[in-house]
Amino acid sequence: MPPWSDFEPFIVSGLALGGVYALSGVGLVVLYRATGVLYLAFGAVGAMGALTAWSLGQAGAPGWLTWLVCIAVAAAITLAYGVLFGPALAKRDPLVKAVATIGLTLVLYGLMDLLWTTSGGEVRSLTLPSDNGGFSVGQVQVNWTQVIALGAGVVLTVGTGLFLRYTKLGTAMRAMANDREITATLGVPVRRVEAAAWLGCGVLAGIAGLLLADLVALDATTLTFLVISSLAAVLIARLRSITVTFVAAIVVGLLHDLLTPITSLTNYRDMTPFVLAAVALLVMPRSQVMAQSREEA
Amino acid sequence: MGADLSLRNTADRRTSRRRPARPQLIRIATIAVLLLFVLFGFPQLLSLYYIDTMTQVAVYSMVTLALGVLVGWVGLVSLGQVAVLAIGAWVAARLLFATAQPYPVVLLEAGLITMAAGVLIGLPALRLRGLYLALITLMLAGAITVVLATVNFPNGGHGFTGYNGSLVHIPPIRRPSIASGDPAYFRYAVIVAILMFALVLAHTKTKPGRAWAAIRQSEPAALAAGINTTLYKLWAFALASFVTGVAGGVLAGAVHYLYSIGFPTQDSITLLAVTLMGGVYSMWGAVVAALLYQFLPALLNNWGVSADWLTILFGLGVLQVLTTAPAGLADQVPKDLARLGRRLRSRARRKPATGSAS
Repeated sequence: MPPWSDFEPFIVSGLALGGVYALSGVGLVVLYRATGVLYLAFGAVGAMGALTAWSLGQAGAPGWLTWLVCIAVAAAITLAYGVLFGPALAKRDPLVKAVATIGLTLVLYGLMDLLWTTSGGEVRSLTLPSDNGGFSVGQVQVNWTQVIALGAGVVLTVGTGLFLRYTKLGTAMRAMANDREITATLGVPVRRVEAAAWLGCGVLAGIAGLLLADLVALDATTLTFLVISSLAAVLIARLRSITVTFVAAIVVGLLHDLLTPITSLTNYRDMTPFVLAAVALLVMPRSQVMAQSREEA
Repeated sequence: MGADLSLRNTADRRTSRRRPARPQLIRIATIAVLLLFVLFGFPQLLSLYYIDTMTQVAVYSMVTLALGVLVGWVGLVSLGQVAVLAIGAWVAARLLFATAQPYPVVLLEAGLITMAAGVLIGLPALRLRGLYLALITLMLAGAITVVLATVNFPNGGHGFTGYNGSLVHIPPIRRPSIASGDPAYFRYAVIVAILMFALVLAHTKTKPGRAWAAIRQSEPAALAAGINTTLYKLWAFALASFVTGVAGGVLAGAVHYLYSIGFPTQDSITLLAVTLMGGVYSMWGAVVAALLYQFLPALLNNWGVSADWLTILFGLGVLQVLTTAPAGLADQVPKDLARLGRRLRSRARRKPATGSAS
């Protein structure tokens, strides 16, 4: 077992990673509750945004513009998909809706590999100005990007909670999570509320893509499939509670990074989200599993 | 039990009525001629590059067949089938290095051990349904991929893992003595694939197939009809794992060297996409899916076109299948062709003066 001081830097990086997973997870849960779609292309649209931002940056665009474009690209693709395919698949099983977003993932993934090829061994990177500044806690350097990542996770979780609780649109989304048909009968413009949920989810995907491109790597494959880690948090929360999603995401991020200094386990650290999600799902009481399956049938 | 019996009776009556019918005989004859052509014509006509590609098609047709059984017959979506294939390939490679057993025995053992692993994983996972089951298979596949990346595939070393990182001359994984050359191994792979298709056909045409169909329609109704749903779902998992494990064994001999980067988690996702595109309700769908998955990339590679276009095509294909054509290409293309033929014929009849150009 390495000394405690070896773990300290990984607490910081783990919390930052957990923060991004949390904001991704919250986006996924809200969209799922409002529309019944588990958005598996979340990582791919974020990656698309981040790569577009990188290209703009190479062309000499100012930093703030590239970040806005990153978020706008992710939001636009998500909204377009939601408006085009949302109504067509609205009455289908949640599984079918989720598999359809795999279709979108593959389209975006192929497009990204085509436009930003890595076959020449090209390595891209996206750095935010917040990487340079920072402060130190004890012996550990903390940069502002890490603070922003954790902060964004906290703020967006709390903000989304308040939004769902107190605004008219949020109430409509909660109503639709319960029953789409009855909500429509009560005069809620169901399609417009769904579009709002898609847009919000897309914005979160863009923010997550930007932060992960800086914290992890600017690479289409990595960013596209990093969504699986947030999915683990969402699964632990049973696609329901954003508070549990937040806690689970922080645990996934922290545990993953804290395993790094332990030599016997460091190769297996990427298993963290999978193992946590599998255990959480498998120990779930049978009655709840059946109740949820029935609800989704 | 009663409902199950009546199901069997109607099925029997239907088959007995259909058995002497001509179309059935013609169909069997067509398949036989097609298979003979594939077995003896392909090695004569194709270059070595395409023979190797067709061997891969034979291997992956077994994988897509297994996935098709899960998705199309039982309604269980698995997002981790490539990880199962990797287990099969690992077991076969380990056995081929460690023992001098004949190849078919190794294939059988690889299938059985993979089946045991599949059942072990499937048993707890089957408490979940639909979306949750799909996601748990994705999670488990991710975990297996991470383990494989650390353990590595056997390369002739000793110990349980059979991996020796400092080995300079890595021996190739052996092939059966009767099929050491590429054309011969292609025939070998096709024959194994035919046997697996026959095995699956034997299941879908009999009691398990009807039980699976009932489960797919409605699990509560199947339960009420006296079908042991857990048993039959586990059976489907076991059959799919067995077939995929055998495919892994054939793959090990086909490529000679195995690396863990050859089995990434995202391939499971692409595999589901092509299986849905090919069509999950018929055996032809599995062949179409394997051609999409292995033959098209080889063809594009030969033409110098980027395989990324194919990824985009698969994505669009999934969206199209889910929105408009649930039975996939294997069902849609013949229907579309028939419709086109009818339209052309009616046009030719309407305008006889202009002649029948088409």
